[in-house]
Amino acid sequence: MKILKKLAITASAIAMMSVGAQAAGEIKVGSAGGVTGPIAELVAAIVKGRQVAVDHVNSSGGLLGGDTMKLVIADSACDPKAAVDAGNKLVNVEQVVAIIGPSCSGATNGMVSSVTIPAGVTVLSDSATAPSISELKDNDTVFRASASDAYQGKAIADLVWKAGIKKVAVTYSNDDYNAGIANVFTTEYKALGGEITGNQAHEPNKASYRSELSTLNQGGPEALALFAYYGSSGITIIKNSLENGLFGKFYAADGMFDNSVIGQIGADNLKGNLWITQAASDTEDASYKAFAEAYKAAGGDPEAPYAAHGYDVAFLMALAIEKAGSADRSKISAALRAVAGPEGEVVRPGEWEKAKKLIAEGKDVNYEGAAGINDFDKNGDVTGLFSVNIVGDDGTWSRSMLK
Amino acid sequence: MAEFINFYFIPGLILGSIYALGAIGITMTFVILRFANFAHGESMTLGVYFAWTLVQLTGLHPLVVMPIAMVLTVLYALSIDRIFYKPLRNAPVVMLVVASFGLMLMTRSVVQFFWGVQLKSVLPGIQKPIMVLDYLRISPKHMMIIISALVLMFAVHYLLTYTKIGKAMRAMSDSPELARLTGIDTEKVVLATWVVGAALACAAGVFLAIDTHVETRMGFKLLLPMFAAAILGGVGRPYGALVGGLIIGLAEEISSYPFIGTEPLLNPGYKAGVAFAIMIGILIWRPSGLFKGKVF
Repeated sequence: MKILKKLAITASAIAMMSVGAQAAGEIKVGSAGGVTGPIAELVAAIVKGRQVAVDHVNSSGGLLGGDTMKLVIADSACDPKAAVDAGNKLVNVEQVVAIIGPSCSGATNGMVSSVTIPAGVTVLSDSATAPSISELKDNDTVFRASASDAYQGKAIADLVWKAGIKKVAVTYSNDDYNAGIANVFTTEYKALGGEITGNQAHEPNKASYRSELSTLNQGGPEALALFAYYGSSGITIIKNSLENGLFGKFYAADGMFDNSVIGQIGADNLKGNLWITQAASDTEDASYKAFAEAYKAAGGDPEAPYAAHGYDVAFLMALAIEKAGSADRSKISAALRAVAGPEGEVVRPGEWEKAKKLIAEGKDVNYEGAAGINDFDKNGDVTGLFSVNIVGDDGTWSRSMLK
Repeated sequence: MAEFINFYFIPGLILGSIYALGAIGITMTFVILRFANFAHGESMTLGVYFAWTLVQLTGLHPLVVMPIAMVLTVLYALSIDRIFYKPLRNAPVVMLVVASFGLMLMTRSVVQFFWGVQLKSVLPGIQKPIMVLDYLRISPKHMMIIISALVLMFAVHYLLTYTKIGKAMRAMSDSPELARLTGIDTEKVVLATWVVGAALACAAGVFLAIDTHVETRMGFKLLLPMFAAAILGGVGRPYGALVGGLIIGLAEEISSYPFIGTEPLLNPGYKAGVAFAIMIGILIWRPSGLFKGKVF
């Protein structure tokens, strides 16, 4: 027993030493994301956005006294269980200062409640949008740079109502993100005067949804409001509906936005049948333009969903570490609020040197992100803009801003 | 009634056929090699990716290239047996189970590494069903799946009933000790088990891919219902696995039919629980399954 204890002490001492040694040249920030899983394609673009921001930081002075910012990737697989593992790895093994990500709402809820809130590590997600995240008792450690689905759900309800559709059926995948947005949609759509003919959860990852769809089709709905991830049930549901002549029109949220939807189902089958809302950036905004240029230069498509948010969270986190003045976990949350605005001099994507100088002079900075203005409210949330995507004549997505 | 058949019974039948083919491999490895093979789902996934690659290379229908994919999957299973399981042949069962668990993770990672995690499709686009007798809607791809599944099931039946190796397999599953005493070459039976299991897993995976899409966790997602099917039918009973698979598939789909009123009997969100509930129920009340399988 004694030997064991000694071993444990030695081991932890070595671990602490090695952490100390790394801090001199490298500051680790956790980058959790659903690298595998039902939205893997979306996450690839988001992770790239994060990396572009980190490259900006490192190529123009680095963090604090010239330290390199290093993203440690952990796969949260869009799954609460996997996210807890990923969070444990980042917090306890890699000893990161803070975490950006994870991507999915369920994963975020799982990771923050079991790992990061107890450990006091600040988390800034780029694409977790479930309303439930606002309500977490998190000691102000959970932030996000994307708008809560309380806003997106309303945007879809407006869209459906304005299209003249009075009766819809709702189905959602049984997880935090989809259940959350479906709930908002239902409430908002009813408030507008619409009728929900059926509202059903479905289990993701099933081979067939024909029976669910057949039940949902009762009562004469004119369209299906489909809240799902494309990779776990969304595509199958649309396929099953069209093949069996059940539903013809689909309204969906950003979890369904991916090229594989067109690739798998066929553009001709979707033209005029599918509307997908998505958190969007004001493409005329100076911040967005600065980001888009850098992202394109890195070989990516800046319009990829949440890529801009990915950039923003990494850049914001870098600013927060700089503002905190050290890689101290406990200082990040307050520093993050300080650099996000609304007070202070405006800093835009790529302007790391300027920001670093301002912080060194003790001035306030206000980061205006590529995806939006990023001023956190008391829940650590931001408001956002939305666009709607349809399949255009050329068989690719065509986008227009809502409102 | 038409609705019941079109949207509940036929999908249940297709799903059941897929479970059934997968469950045969599980039930046979369970009884002949004495362990629960967690990597079975990944053999399925790998088989599907072989098929997908062949479809991309040749442009043929997935069912046409399926036999080649089956052969490749069999080769994979045999080499895995040679490298990983053979040295553990006389080791405690728990080691084999853990080894299969490790293989599951390794195989999946290899698939993700080589093919990527993006969704793929062996048969893109949608197929409108054909109307039979004015009210039955059957999609051509579903016809193909059901017919191919029947062909494979008969092949298994023939193998087990009329061939020497098939009889040896049944003897092994009835009583490994007796089989050994009568001079059956156990190593040969083990290899045959892998061959049959892997080939059928690949076929089941390809059917699923034709019905839905290709994805790196598709086999893993089927693992629980396949185990449920194997246990329901009775461990070590290939016919039990067939029946068990069909029952589980049908039960999952039919459980949400609105038998009473207009609401589904069981919220479809909890469909996946049906297989699990059946498995638990069988383990408690009839651990030997429908066909008097082995009880461990």
